[in-house]
Amino acid sequence: MTDFKRLRGLKALVQDVVEHGSTAVQRVHLETAARPFVILELIPGIAAPAHTVRQVHDLYVSGVYGTIRAVNRVVGKTLDVALDVAEGTRRVNTP
Amino acid sequence: MGRKLELALGVLNGVVGDHLARTGNGLATEMTLVREGRPLPVTRAALSAAYPNATSRVVVLIHGSSNTESVWEFPDGQDYGSMLAGEFAFTPLYLRYNSGLAIADNGAMLTTLLDGLVEHYPVPITEILLLGYSMGGLVIRSACHVARLENRPWLQKVKHTIYVGTPHLGAPLERVGRVVAKVLRWVDDPYTRLAADLANLRSDGVKDLGNADLRHEDRERRAQGVALTDPRHPVPLLEDIQHHFIAGTLSPDPLLAALFGDALVPVPSATNGQVHGKKSMTKPPLRVRILPGSHVVLAHDAQVYSQIQTWCREMA
Repeated sequence: MTDFKRLRGLKALVQDVVEHGSTAVQRVHLETAARPFVILELIPGIAAPAHTVRQVHDLYVSGVYGTIRAVNRVVGKTLDVALDVAEGTRRVNTP
Repeated sequence: MGRKLELALGVLNGVVGDHLARTGNGLATEMTLVREGRPLPVTRAALSAAYPNATSRVVVLIHGSSNTESVWEFPDGQDYGSMLAGEFAFTPLYLRYNSGLAIADNGAMLTTLLDGLVEHYPVPITEILLLGYSMGGLVIRSACHVARLENRPWLQKVKHTIYVGTPHLGAPLERVGRVVAKVLRWVDDPYTRLAADLANLRSDGVKDLGNADLRHEDRERRAQGVALTDPRHPVPLLEDIQHHFIAGTLSPDPLLAALFGDALVPVPSATNGQVHGKKSMTKPPLRVRILPGSHVVLAHDAQVYSQIQTWCREMA
């Protein structure tokens, strides 16, 4: 059953890449967006609305990347089940 | 297809094999002997079946980083092991391992595997010849170091080792990569930090190549600073073994050979510091040979085999 072990490994690797990749890109996204917000938050008069906009922005960005990771996990679990079924079928059909 | 897949997995393990092993990923290669592309368990039954004409002299061939045992193959399907078998009655044993793991980990596993080999081999082993290519040579040194500390009996059977393109004093390319990653991290910018993270994805095995770190504790001194060279090497070659070195060079010019060697390993590093100038290039010390060629070619090269042949005659 090495084939299935490797298929599971490939699935896990792709999942890891999506998980860690999206986290890294999210960090870059938030840090890059923070720069103009930091400047805007120093300007009297627009500091408060800029802060609010930043919080909404950060929340939205985190939500998007969080959704990517959640979908990644759901797809991973689904593939686990599919692989279990396929492996079970092969075991039954193998004399 | 199977062969190409194994090769792809060898590369993958070299790059992220430490992550694969840490996460229990099914793509992680386990250290094993390999016979005709298939894992060969170190049990008496399996070894007897695989080698019905086993001889008392064995040669263990240990590939390099991001390779599999197929790196040894000549276009006609021969390799150093099969040729040594025909000419010097060695039984060739091919090792496959996860080259992304720390060299110290692979050294420790090789020690255990050789324990099992000596115990279960069909006939009493009188001699073990260890032949390592690139990182494989460092794995040999690490295994011998562990075996010496723990008095493993197989070490007494090792009289000779042959290192082909092994970076005994480290690989400058990896050290440059390390410096680049550190410099990128100093820059206060999210994109350069991301680039630094990507550069740091190199496996433990690859990172160990920088300074030829054979033990886990060697890595601690690596963290102390940024250096392109590190003259200290705390694990000497074992004195009661005859060590043979083959270095490749793309240019006969001593300066270029010292800087670039076979493109990955400079000649001084491949010769454990024994060749480092014009004089020693033209007349290398005993058991050192410098051959024209790139790093990749050294694992399956007629001139390299010819030198191995010469040394094996002397050993006999």
